[in-house]
Amino acid sequence: MNKLTVCIFLFFGIAQALFSSTKDTLNLYENDAEPIPYSTNEATMFGVGGYQILDTYLSPYTYKGWGISVANEKLKTVSLFNYHGVRQQNFGIEFSSTENDAKTASYLSGMLNYGIGYGYRFEPCKNLRLIPGVSARALAGFIYNTRNGNNPASMKLDVAANLTGMAIYNFKIREFPLTLRFQTEIPFFSVFFSPNYMQSYYEIFSLGNYKGVVKAGSLHNYFTMRNYLTLDIPIYNYTVRVGYQNNIYKTNVNDLTTHMYSNSFMIGIVKEIVSYSGRKLKNKRGYNSAYY
Amino acid sequence: MHIINQGMKNTLYLLLAFFLCTFSACDKEDQYTRDSYRNFEALWQILDKNYCFFEYKDVNWNDVYDKYAVQMSDTMSSDSLFNKLGDMLSELKDGHTNLYSSFNVARYWKWYEDYPDNFNEMVHRHYMGTDYRIAGGIKYMKLTPDIGYIYYGSFMSPVGDSNLDYVLMYFADCKGLIIDVRNNGGGNLTMSDRIASRFAKEKLVCGYIKHKSGPGHNDFSNPYPIELTPSDRVRWFRPVAVLTNRRCYSATNDFVNKMRLFPQVIQIGDKTGGGSGFPFSSELPNGWSVRFSSSPILDAKMRITEFGIDPDISVTMTQVDVMAMIDPIIDRAVRYISENAPEVEKPTMLYNSLSDSLRIQ
Repeated sequence: MNKLTVCIFLFFGIAQALFSSTKDTLNLYENDAEPIPYSTNEATMFGVGGYQILDTYLSPYTYKGWGISVANEKLKTVSLFNYHGVRQQNFGIEFSSTENDAKTASYLSGMLNYGIGYGYRFEPCKNLRLIPGVSARALAGFIYNTRNGNNPASMKLDVAANLTGMAIYNFKIREFPLTLRFQTEIPFFSVFFSPNYMQSYYEIFSLGNYKGVVKAGSLHNYFTMRNYLTLDIPIYNYTVRVGYQNNIYKTNVNDLTTHMYSNSFMIGIVKEIVSYSGRKLKNKRGYNSAYY
Repeated sequence: MHIINQGMKNTLYLLLAFFLCTFSACDKEDQYTRDSYRNFEALWQILDKNYCFFEYKDVNWNDVYDKYAVQMSDTMSSDSLFNKLGDMLSELKDGHTNLYSSFNVARYWKWYEDYPDNFNEMVHRHYMGTDYRIAGGIKYMKLTPDIGYIYYGSFMSPVGDSNLDYVLMYFADCKGLIIDVRNNGGGNLTMSDRIASRFAKEKLVCGYIKHKSGPGHNDFSNPYPIELTPSDRVRWFRPVAVLTNRRCYSATNDFVNKMRLFPQVIQIGDKTGGGSGFPFSSELPNGWSVRFSSSPILDAKMRITEFGIDPDISVTMTQVDVMAMIDPIIDRAVRYISENAPEVEKPTMLYNSLSDSLRIQ
């Protein structure tokens, strides 16, 4: 466990060291007058969808059912690559209830994930932005079998370095502005927890036999893919984001296999946020505050 | 006005193709079936790859396959299939190996069914009366003014550290203690450690655990030592008699295995029932659940105690004893403590070096 904790901190430490900017909030000057601040595009979305889970530590059979999820993402231009850099943070929580085909047992599963990524933004043609990049993502979760006695749950704990790609296309249909976005994320290296074959959690956590439970992963034994397809639709004073999210999570290590597939339809609200704080608050020309 | 040009259409087609591939990425796993033969095959395979006592019990699992495969048929009922599969599992002579359906539980209980009970509820009530104390899952009282008595009927019943503090302090002026775990069929190993740690003077290796490392019958991990650390709260170093019978199984067997390592502890009664394999659960294609021993727990000398632990003093309870409302096992424990425990004129409670741990000695 200690190794895993160190690795998690190491990942995020390296990510921050490599990509963080001393000028986190950037200013461009238009006509040498007012600075135009970079805003943060933030969306919070709720999803519902189908889940399929196989975890051979618990059962050799696939459990199927439904789940709900909440996802928050923030996208912001940063000073990296001469302001072509983009930072994306997202946080997600999901819960699912699945059952076996015989309807005699069920899984309850919950997953938390946080990812931070940096990409390079360029526009190969008008209205199309492409943002390839890298990200680090940590995931913690569980799959709980409501029937099993001594192996009732399977813990998921991992951190991964990923390649990401995003395409954002702005277009209009009959003068109605829309924004289509597709994003995918695939890991190239990961560190994750897995019990050894038929090793009980009693032996691992109560007796302290951690040998072999922290694994280094790459595509051959750890594969996840997160795909988003979203469409932003302005409606009155709001921008509604609807989308489809597909998650694939597969591990195959210590002769234990885990597959989690989910396909969720998402809907939420998008906000474009400009942050004013510190000395910028003194310049009141850019905003009207109820407080200051 | 922007329109979607041909390039964009191609991009969308590519995305669509990608999603179709993604949807189809779901692996084809074994599916639900009520087919008798496939369920038999699945059960046999699960045990073949994961059961841990084939060699110790000298069970030829291939012979078992041959014996039961011919008994499968396409037309057999669920009940008949369940009984046949239950019979197959009973070849393993393992109380931790069960088949669960919605209508029945297949079990092997001959580890106590074929032996004397050596415990009687009515006689036990006669000894305990109604004025006993209860702390967590423990019932306790003084059998005589200087002999304490604890009855712990299930390791499923939680016992907290505070419970144990109060129980042991209640017996501070007793010269000996009887811990009766007869008919305790097991439960939580954490409780076993928690109680046993009250009798340990120093950290010691009380056993080892192995787990299957692969599908071969002899594929095991290296034995990993199970250490027992002395409690840093109230501890007991005066004579202790642990009472056992054949229904002491699983976590209770583990508890007896730990307790017998302490010099002040003696085991009286009948052999324990055993059950030293840590069980795992799996599933058949028709949704039935199977539990089986998968991780052998060895004693401090690396011996398997799957078939039980012999007592230091063997005592049997006869029907005549029951009729006379006599429990000879409790009586023998009382006599042992009376004969072997030094008199305690006043409580000897010492704080030792383990922080503020209190020793009763």
